[in-house]
Amino acid sequence: MAGDQGQEDSPPAAAETGPPGGPVPLLADLARLRRQTRAARHAYWFPLLLFGLLTCGAAPLYVAAAAPPASGARAFGSAPILLGGTPFGTSSFYIGWYWAVALVGGYLLTVAWYRWHARRAGVRTPARGYLITGVVLTAVVLVVPPLTRWVPGLALIWLPFGDVWIRGTLAFLFIAVGLWVLARAERSRALAVIALIYTGAALLASLYNVENILFRLGWNPGRSAVAWQLTVLPNVLLPAAILLVAGCGAFVAQRARRSTA
Amino acid sequence: MSGAGPGSQSPRAPAPTPSAAIPGTHPTNGLDDTVHQRHRLGILTITAEAGAEFGYLRGALGLTPGNLSRHLTVLEEAGLVKVEKGYKGRRPRTWVRITGSGRAALAAELATLTELVRRHGGPQAD
Repeated sequence: MAGDQGQEDSPPAAAETGPPGGPVPLLADLARLRRQTRAARHAYWFPLLLFGLLTCGAAPLYVAAAAPPASGARAFGSAPILLGGTPFGTSSFYIGWYWAVALVGGYLLTVAWYRWHARRAGVRTPARGYLITGVVLTAVVLVVPPLTRWVPGLALIWLPFGDVWIRGTLAFLFIAVGLWVLARAERSRALAVIALIYTGAALLASLYNVENILFRLGWNPGRSAVAWQLTVLPNVLLPAAILLVAGCGAFVAQRARRSTA
Repeated sequence: MSGAGPGSQSPRAPAPTPSAAIPGTHPTNGLDDTVHQRHRLGILTITAEAGAEFGYLRGALGLTPGNLSRHLTVLEEAGLVKVEKGYKGRRPRTWVRITGSGRAALAAELATLTELVRRHGGPQAD
């Protein structure tokens, strides 16, 4: 099929070997057009950088949430528990709402970016599936826990997966899902590889305290309570760093490819 | 790219049948006149990858606006592409996207060309 990734790297060596007008140069010409078009429409550096920055923006909230709850503090009943997690007391309220707004805002900005890029480049990536997937996932995690009060059976949908959201890092997995959808829409193997690495990091941050790895490597945060609050940062900054590094790399690569195309 | 004039082929039959898949027939029997034309094949290849704007197609294929318009008309009449006209501010913008039958026709054409190359040993193929 024309759009299959397998044909992305069709050997151009045969291009010049066939007689003019024959099937060999014709197929090589079509492969060149396909590569050129794919290079022109790749624009995934923007969502990578955007969600990397949004993740960095959430870091202070995680640090604040790691403080022991003040006496007399009480949990907010309307906290989006699946996005905010539970272990940190009332401050996870802010993490939950931060991610609810950041995810939806990030999806909308990404779609706006792809539209702008399409007008500029003359080729467009269908980003509607990305928007729908992201917004539906976010809406589901916002709506299902409150509904559980009236429909107790709904608890079976989210309580058994507590390991994934208890640290307030479920948003990372939603970002990962978005990257997979974009990799498919852009037919980009490079983005699929980035999505794979990021998914691994998001799962690690959701299921494990990443700072333990740093402790084993010799990191000693000291004795102060504030320093210990900072130990939540590796769980947040590892996925953010992957997005930022990949986004910068993609930006440079896409610019270079376009200027040589 | 070079090729026959845009209006030189009549609209194609609706369902492409790659003869490469039919034992005993020569692959050239599967070449569809509408699709096989070099520039139209280029248009289908680009739009199979992504919806494309008129200006992008013109630049990528090295065609004049009139020539590209005529090729698009042939493909649109055959139901292989959809042409959407709109405006960005006061500037007209025409977007072209491939249809389901366009994708099928392109796949059939590529299968036929690949079969031709296979049968005639690559560089010697004509």
